[in-house]
Amino acid sequence: MNCEEATKLMDGYLDGELDPMTSQKIEQHLRDCRKCEQAYEAHTALAHAISRGAPYYKAQAELRQRVQSSLRDAVGVRASRSAARENHASLTSRWAKRRPVLPEIPWNWLALAAAIILAAIIASSFLPRLRPPTSDQFLATQLIASHVRSLMADHLTDVASSDQHTVKPWLDTKLDFAPPVVDLSSEGFPLIGGRLDYLDSRSVAALVYQKRKHFINLFIWPTTPKDSTAQTMVEREGYHLVHWSDGDFTYWAVSDVNINDLQSFKQLFEQQIARH
Amino acid sequence: MAAPLKIDYAFNAQDFESSAKIVKFTILKKHQEPDAAQEHELASFEETMLPHMDAAHNLAKWLLRNEEDAQDVVQEAYLRAFKSFSGFHGSNGRAWLLTIVRNTSYTLLKKNRAVDLTTTFDEEIHTAGHESVSPATILEHSENAELIKEAMDELPVQFREILALRHQEGLSYKEIADIAQIPPGTVMSRLSRARAELKEYLAARISKDK
Ligand SMILES: [Zn+2]
Repeated sequence: MNCEEATKLMDGYLDGELDPMTSQKIEQHLRDCRKCEQAYEAHTALAHAISRGAPYYKAQAELRQRVQSSLRDAVGVRASRSAARENHASLTSRWAKRRPVLPEIPWNWLALAAAIILAAIIASSFLPRLRPPTSDQFLATQLIASHVRSLMADHLTDVASSDQHTVKPWLDTKLDFAPPVVDLSSEGFPLIGGRLDYLDSRSVAALVYQKRKHFINLFIWPTTPKDSTAQTMVEREGYHLVHWSDGDFTYWAVSDVNINDLQSFKQLFEQQIARH
Repeated sequence: MAAPLKIDYAFNAQDFESSAKIVKFTILKKHQEPDAAQEHELASFEETMLPHMDAAHNLAKWLLRNEEDAQDVVQEAYLRAFKSFSGFHGSNGRAWLLTIVRNTSYTLLKKNRAVDLTTTFDEEIHTAGHESVSPATILEHSENAELIKEAMDELPVQFREILALRHQEGLSYKEIADIAQIPPGTVMSRLSRARAELKEYLAARISKDK
């Protein structure tokens, strides 16, 4: 592969959208060509700056109400009737609670985040580039998006507590499954809290842990036939993802901490669960 | 810049086709009292689609750059989506809704603000002498979120769209192709151009501030 081809395919490579063969060829070229490698690093930094810097315009509460009432009008349902709708109202208010209105993002926080990200990019460029299996690609993208959004919206937790006996009951009442919750403070990964999240059309638990200034989102849901049970490690857009499964539950840990930290987090989490 | 616009308009034919179906659907329903089945359908629709309202609003806001228009489009898109919900069998509710939001936004842009659709990238910025700005300097300034927002707002609508879909929704090229109604092969080159233009803008801004 020459420089011209590498430049043309760089965005596809950056986005993890190339077939494995082409990816390997680019990787080879980046190892051999200092100029393209530098261009790739600058491009990665830019991509992160966009992901981090562009404001995410959330829907405000008034809009939610407006949309819902116009939908009601469309089917001619009058207010105060129908048990089905009352059921539903509680569902939507849960949503509203879960995703508070935050039309603007705190810039100072973003600047800090950008600095952290840049540090992570530099750190990760020394690691071997890992490729996710294709079936996990889409899920990985969603997981990273959820992770990033939880940080951007400054809404890491619905229940902020380092006490697993507070976080667990809270999640149990919100979900139709009971995810395992353990604190790993003494191991260097303090529990920050828990959150409800929504992935691939299902409600999932997100446990939030901290490692120094970095956060780890641990997504948990009951294993379905759709979920792969093979352990996976993915590096993508400067984030690391570790996936495992213990028969009952599927776990995805997402963070910008380095891969070794994330691996030991996984081991510590499994050990603690086994003890409970 | 002119060529992609044609592609972007292509959806309209498809869009009208589906609204013809919507009309039929509405007329049939008009003769009925709201019944349990309809309420059930509404509940199921809301459960599937309301979680994606942030994504819908975010995309509309980036396309229209105006809060009132964005809200109108989101409301209209939800109504359209509900009316054709019986035809939705996929698992990707967000992509489906975003396609409708995108089409509704372009309809509005075409009707009221055709100028927004033809706005090309500021030539002055292209030709400004900023070759001396190094990638390291750009990198340094890329921490400035305000600058990123400003730069993105300056880009043509197709570029704002593709950057929002990729960087904010984290969608795959395949999903972006479906939503933006462009061939999958075009996604990478358009993203590449969008990022390059954004970088140009940042470089121009940085060298101006110097
Ligand atoms: Zn090269």
